[in-house]
Amino acid sequence: MKFSIQKDRFAQSVQDVLKAISSRTTIPILTGIKIDATEEGIKLTGSDSDISIESFIPQEEEGKVLVDIQQTGSIVLNARFFNEIVKKLPSEKAEIEVISSFQTVIRSGQAEFSLNGLDPDEYPHLPQIEEGEVFKLPTDLLKALIRQTVFAVSASETRPILTGVNWKIEEGQLVCIATDSHRLAWRKAAVETDFNAEYNVVIPGKSLNELSKILDDSQEPVEIVITDNQVLFRAKHLLFYSRLLEGNYPDTSRLIPTDSKTKLELNTKEFLQAIDRASLLAREGRNNVVKLSMIDENLIEISSNSPEIGKVTEQVRSREIEGEEIKISFSAKYMMDALKVLEGTEINIQFTGAMRPFVIRPENDDSILQLILPVRTY
Amino acid sequence: MSDIWKDLNELQPIVLKMIMNGLAKGRVAHAYLLEGDPGTGKKQTALYFAKSLLCEEEGIMPCNECSNCRRIDSGNHPDVHIVEPDGLSIKKQQIVFLQQEFSKTAVEANRKIYIINHADKMTASAANSLLKFLEEPAADTVALLLTEQAQRMLPTIISRCQLLSFKPLPPDLLKNKLIEKEVSLPMAALVSRLTNNFDEAFRLGTEEWFAQSRKIVLKLYEVLLKNPLEAMVKLQEDFNGHFKDKQQVSLALDLLLLLFKDLLSIQTGNEQGLAYPDQLALLKNTALHSSIVNTTEQITAILEAKRKLDANMNPQLLMEQLVLKLQGGASFV
Amino acid sequence: MESFYPKNGRVVLHVDMNSFYASVEIAHNPSLRGRPLAIAGKPEERKGIIVTCSYEARTFGVKTTMTVWEAKKLCPNLIILPPNFERYRGASREIFHILRRYTPLVEPVSIDEGYLDITSSYALGTPLAISELIQQELLERLMLPCSIGIAPNKFLAKMASNMKKPLGITVLRKREVPAVLWPLPAVAMHGVGEKTADKLAGLGIMTIGDLAQASDHVLKNRLGVRGIQLKERANGIDRRKVDPEAANDFKSVGQSITLPKDETKQQELLRVLLQLSERVAVRLQRKKVLGESLSVMIRYKDWKTITRSKKLSGPIEKAEDIFAEAKQLFLKNWSGNGIRLLGVTLSDLTEKEQADVQLDLFSYEQEANKASLAEALDKLDKKYGEGVIQPASKKKPAGKEAAPDMDGKKSE
Repeated sequence: MKFSIQKDRFAQSVQDVLKAISSRTTIPILTGIKIDATEEGIKLTGSDSDISIESFIPQEEEGKVLVDIQQTGSIVLNARFFNEIVKKLPSEKAEIEVISSFQTVIRSGQAEFSLNGLDPDEYPHLPQIEEGEVFKLPTDLLKALIRQTVFAVSASETRPILTGVNWKIEEGQLVCIATDSHRLAWRKAAVETDFNAEYNVVIPGKSLNELSKILDDSQEPVEIVITDNQVLFRAKHLLFYSRLLEGNYPDTSRLIPTDSKTKLELNTKEFLQAIDRASLLAREGRNNVVKLSMIDENLIEISSNSPEIGKVTEQVRSREIEGEEIKISFSAKYMMDALKVLEGTEINIQFTGAMRPFVIRPENDDSILQLILPVRTY
Repeated sequence: MSDIWKDLNELQPIVLKMIMNGLAKGRVAHAYLLEGDPGTGKKQTALYFAKSLLCEEEGIMPCNECSNCRRIDSGNHPDVHIVEPDGLSIKKQQIVFLQQEFSKTAVEANRKIYIINHADKMTASAANSLLKFLEEPAADTVALLLTEQAQRMLPTIISRCQLLSFKPLPPDLLKNKLIEKEVSLPMAALVSRLTNNFDEAFRLGTEEWFAQSRKIVLKLYEVLLKNPLEAMVKLQEDFNGHFKDKQQVSLALDLLLLLFKDLLSIQTGNEQGLAYPDQLALLKNTALHSSIVNTTEQITAILEAKRKLDANMNPQLLMEQLVLKLQGGASFV
Repeated sequence: MESFYPKNGRVVLHVDMNSFYASVEIAHNPSLRGRPLAIAGKPEERKGIIVTCSYEARTFGVKTTMTVWEAKKLCPNLIILPPNFERYRGASREIFHILRRYTPLVEPVSIDEGYLDITSSYALGTPLAISELIQQELLERLMLPCSIGIAPNKFLAKMASNMKKPLGITVLRKREVPAVLWPLPAVAMHGVGEKTADKLAGLGIMTIGDLAQASDHVLKNRLGVRGIQLKERANGIDRRKVDPEAANDFKSVGQSITLPKDETKQQELLRVLLQLSERVAVRLQRKKVLGESLSVMIRYKDWKTITRSKKLSGPIEKAEDIFAEAKQLFLKNWSGNGIRLLGVTLSDLTEKEQADVQLDLFSYEQEANKASLAEALDKLDKKYGEGVIQPASKKKPAGKEAAPDMDGKKSE
């Protein structure tokens, strides 16, 4: 393998794939970055086995030559050292050459490094993508979907399946669901696709967070391919693979109430701020619990009481209150998490009882809902 | 057929047959317990088994050449996880890591395999976590637990595993192999009683430190017979300086144990297969002045010391106590 | 080995974990080792209080009960973590699991300390060797340091474990009490707090030695029976046994009744059970606590006594909830023979304010159904006046009121 490459572009790609590499890996080969030089360009791969990132630098882009490939081939180089070296190379160009049995020379300007590489055949084999079964989503929509659901995944490993987000694709619709069993986030969006397959997979929340970080804020489409073991996201010159979670996601559809006994309409921002203030004191208590109750036909009260510290009450105007009176307690944190990801200035909350989950939706938008389980107080 | 297969089949034909039958019939259990003495080929067998399950080539036996086989040998296969004790024990964190790993789909293969070496060294909470994990095996995972001390494992874990018992190796087989490689007879006789693993035996048999160990233990034994008080001094002079950490003291106890076993063997009229054949004259002489009952008591004392060492008793204190007991056995009690 | 053990007396160890919470955090994340570390209620807030800190932090003068802000002033590099009680409870379980392998006589005192009676453990080595084993095993297996006191009784063992920290092993013999304990101020004695120390000072008792030689009469007048007890302790005498069950009695509310005759009628027994449940409920409410485990004690006419317990799905406090659980447990275990005594006890207590339950998506329906039943009853009460619906047995004439029994039940 031998090629020379534009340094800045190369360093950027190394940075990108480095995001997938963990220093705590138990698999020795994964401490390295894999470099493949083909006729088309240079491909870099980093992986911690949970996620894998590939960055591609084409031989030529917009008429500009980025890479000059003299000999194709592959090598795996220690990620930490390689990254530091590439960042500090003195010249605009870098030349990389594998000279013998994985020994690799990196030249730039007058500097020359020699690194002992690893056998590229030892590197994990990422799934081959079959063209055809591809979905497309604009990058910004994909990032919104992630942001609006992934915060609700479980942080505890007692039910590992709940640490992921359930993605269901059916009839051109993608439904994303996340729950830690105390609250649930649900989001629906149309996907662009040419075929009619159905999928039901669970993607680790951690992977989606990483994906969101590495994607830029554009409207460029991201292509999505789902295989048996992995899900693949393809943006321009960037491939992101994630393993899936084993097992079946619980059926939550029957757990989301469809009826309503009490319905409130509130201004999102006012309500969020009131909850935030109430939780100032509630945070000291164990559960960060605030209480919501009704005062009259368009006034609700948010309150919290921490015996050692004190009390807080605040009245919030509701545009409309329908149905039975209710007193209900819930976690202020869950409520704020939910309100922060809902777009729109007005929301409605539908209750079916003090001991039953309630649902928060933006007014006139049925593509998203947030569900919260109340706290039973004594 | 590969060399690995030939070697393993020579050592453990029954175990190999059980594994191959299971594979041929497509009946692979979720968990196996590979139990047997050190050096009986448990880890090689476990790796061989893993390769059989993941080999890309046709047939039951692994090719040892494809990418999967090679990466299992180098520890780079992302779907094969090997857990070794972290220090003295296997910690809960290590088992939790496995659980997290296996809650996800395989990276490449359609099977995930975990090998836990020295599974008896799991802490109580690690063992309990593993138990939960074994109770609800994920589809297509295979657990291979390796142990030299199955009696130290939770019965509830053992009962969830298919047992593969590795038979001990005949010492003469190893001894003769070592002599072929020009290890001296006294060394070959001794090391072949300490381990069943050829590489380890060869290393010990040719190592200066080990030769020195043997000398010091023999010296201690001689002094012990003549002058018990001097034995304490000897302990201070040579022994403690040479056997520094727990593992080294454990080896010293093994060497001492073999010596007393030889003595017992001579007392019961068997002079074959000794660990110290060159010390026959000395041992015969002692045998005249001591009784079988004494020797048995002394052996018990050494075994007891080994147990305490395992339970982390201070090694120096332990050796002092042992020396007192051993000399007591000979003349005072 | 037996020769190292007393012929008549006992050998008691007090195992005291060193800065337990901080040590658990370090074991969990070894990169914290050697760095000043503190656990504080609300680390993000300046006014959070330091609950415990590592020895490294102590060298800067950081102490428990300081505010985070004060501590940071003394030690700007102080690492502050929020407490993770789940983790500490887990570590505590493992500690006691290990301790119980040395002797079955282990009495947990709190999450991080306990007494062991190793009088019969001579096969494992001398008391000192056993202590070394315990200390090493806790350190190597759990990475948790402890100090151990070895003494003929609990009090001296406790005093001894306090003498060398961290990782100390201290033997305190009774004959060493005058030399070792007597010069110490009285407040250094386990069991003597600031208030008691003030009272003692009022009697001219400043040191443990003064207390050991004080007059029984004066002590009894000022401090009651406890005064005599303290004097005995100061003389190295403590007759309390190491009681593995002690922890189980800790925190429970129970009530039992001896029946006027051997009762075999189910209806009557259930009526008694309801009465007991109501009494327990009243006491729970008075103490502002809820219980999460329930047990029923049955003594038959032949004095055969059984106790059956059950872990509940959530904390309860109401008489009807207690009765419902007690009834179920009772009917399942009653042999049908005549009963002399019945008891109901709630344990696993939590304070009411701490007992809020975050409902779970996959199990809320059970809770909700229970609640809606209660709501329905409430509504009927409101509509038709209080007491329309009563537990059936309340309507019975209360002629044969059974007398509450004081002898049977230990509680709290």
